[in-house]
Amino acid sequence: MNKDRKTEIARRRFLKGLVLGAGGSAVAAVPALPRTPSGRLGKVRYGMLIDLRKCVGCQSCSVACKSEFDVPLGVSRSWVEYVEKGVYPHVGRTFLPRLCNHCSDPPCVSVCPTGATYKREQDGIVVVDDGVCIGCKYCILACPYDARFLNPVTRFADKCDFCIHRVSKGLVPSCVNTCPAGARIFGDLNDPGSQISKTMARNRVSVLRPEMGTQPNVYYIGADHTEPGNVKRHEAGEVRVVTHRRDPERR
Amino acid sequence: MIEELDWGLLVIGYLFLAGVGAGAILVSAFLTLGAGEFGASRFAIARYGAFIAPLPVIVGTAMLVLELGRPFRALNLFKLINLSPMSVGSWFVGVFITVSLLYALTFIPRAAGFGDRLNRARRGLAWVCLPFGFAMAVYTAILIGAMPARPFWNSPAIVLLFVLSALSGGVASVMLALAVFHKPGGNPAVAEDRDKSAHALGSADAMLLLGELAIILLFLLFAQLSIGSVREAASVIHAGGALAAPFWGFVVLLGILIPAGMEMGVIAPKLLSGKLFNSYRAVEILAPVAILIGGFALRYVVVVAGQITGPISI
Ligand code: SF4
Ligand code: SF4
Ligand code: SF4
Repeated sequence: MNKDRKTEIARRRFLKGLVLGAGGSAVAAVPALPRTPSGRLGKVRYGMLIDLRKCVGCQSCSVACKSEFDVPLGVSRSWVEYVEKGVYPHVGRTFLPRLCNHCSDPPCVSVCPTGATYKREQDGIVVVDDGVCIGCKYCILACPYDARFLNPVTRFADKCDFCIHRVSKGLVPSCVNTCPAGARIFGDLNDPGSQISKTMARNRVSVLRPEMGTQPNVYYIGADHTEPGNVKRHEAGEVRVVTHRRDPERR
Repeated sequence: MIEELDWGLLVIGYLFLAGVGAGAILVSAFLTLGAGEFGASRFAIARYGAFIAPLPVIVGTAMLVLELGRPFRALNLFKLINLSPMSVGSWFVGVFITVSLLYALTFIPRAAGFGDRLNRARRGLAWVCLPFGFAMAVYTAILIGAMPARPFWNSPAIVLLFVLSALSGGVASVMLALAVFHKPGGNPAVAEDRDKSAHALGSADAMLLLGELAIILLFLLFAQLSIGSVREAASVIHAGGALAAPFWGFVVLLGILIPAGMEMGVIAPKLLSGKLFNSYRAVEILAPVAILIGGFALRYVVVVAGQITGPISI
């Protein structure tokens, strides 16, 4: 993992197609977070960029996340919505992968009465301390992205944690690792030299529900922000959103 | 629908009961501190309020704890205090229960006893009960109002509505106690005094109900005048909306218009012609029951509406 990034990526691609159970080399094959060069602005601020021009809506991220954390049936940390619109023959379907936005101004944190939900100083990841959480569900209601749920097994508030256990070991999150389209980029937004910062600088990006003032750290390239309510705009034609969650509506 | 929600019937019940408790203590404290036109029955009414107040709050708090994912961890709420309305609110609840129980204790001896130590303690506690009663009523609304992600709740109108509803629920519970335990009749002087008190409570309640109605109309008006999420959220209580029936049927008609009408019918003759006030037992019982049902329905509609609506963009 100490090699420079280009060779690292080349080696990773090569090894990925090779053996899986080859002990040490398989571990080394896991995509790693690039080492942070100097020139970072202040602290680490982790974020994710999802390029929807590449996303094929395969739900691999949803599955990888489910198995990484053994997320119980009926709830998800990561999911992919399908947005279908238009009237035949002018129709289209786009995908919108969803997860916690690790907001810079997170309303889930400000409502938590126990301090169980907090934003980590060192890297901006918003976490739930399950040793403290009482399961009051306040944060679940306060999140404008429906990113949280009460884990039916543990009875604590739960959500995406940017795979801290992997990231802290220099690996990329599970959903990023698994994405066959390479649509997800994870990295330090405060580091102008990181792949995520460079890609964001070159592209037009957007966040979800910016009017909520939460300042999300999950960005999208080419997201379709069409809502079922937009059906009133005739040019959108028919709009159907399939959330792939128990709740068929976005809240 | 309700079992799919994060905050279900137990939370709704808590918000309602906390409001009734807060209202009852406010009525009692106001009376203890000498407000309103009450004669010799002042003490008796204040006593009902004092005895009623802690009960719904204690029951409601127990319900709230049961709603937690981890009920045995409820004490984590008291390990720190932060600016979360739930954190501040739990301390309010703790103080409220303690103070209201102490206040109720001072009412155990039946005689009013002026100038004695008990009376001083009672008045002192009443001064503490006032701000904490208001705090309880206000915080239950700020609790849900603190979330921009829930456009139906994120409005100062909800705070005013909850405060007025808490007060009218408190008055209603005291009126009900008066009607049930303090029957009219007997000595004419006592009976007249009792009727005067019932009249004072009834007029106060009618004013509160009309205030609620005004705030509901303002809420609907401003939702209609806005665009986007708030307007969309308020549409669930418009005709044809998912909550239109409980809202217009139980909150507005049964909880406000009918009891306000009953009370006006009884109060109006005195207001208009100075005629002696007649107490109708049926009104004294039915009006508060309707108000309490309406108060519960209000919490139900508001709590459900906030959860089934959200921001309309993505
Ligand atoms: S997306 Fe929701 S849960 Fe995640 S940080 Fe933002 S408000 Fe909190
Ligand atoms: S459910 Fe847990 S993390 Fe969420 S607000 Fe309550 S105590 Fe905090
Ligand atoms: S970062 Fe980890 S926890 Fe978050 S969605 Fe991806 S796999 Fe799930």
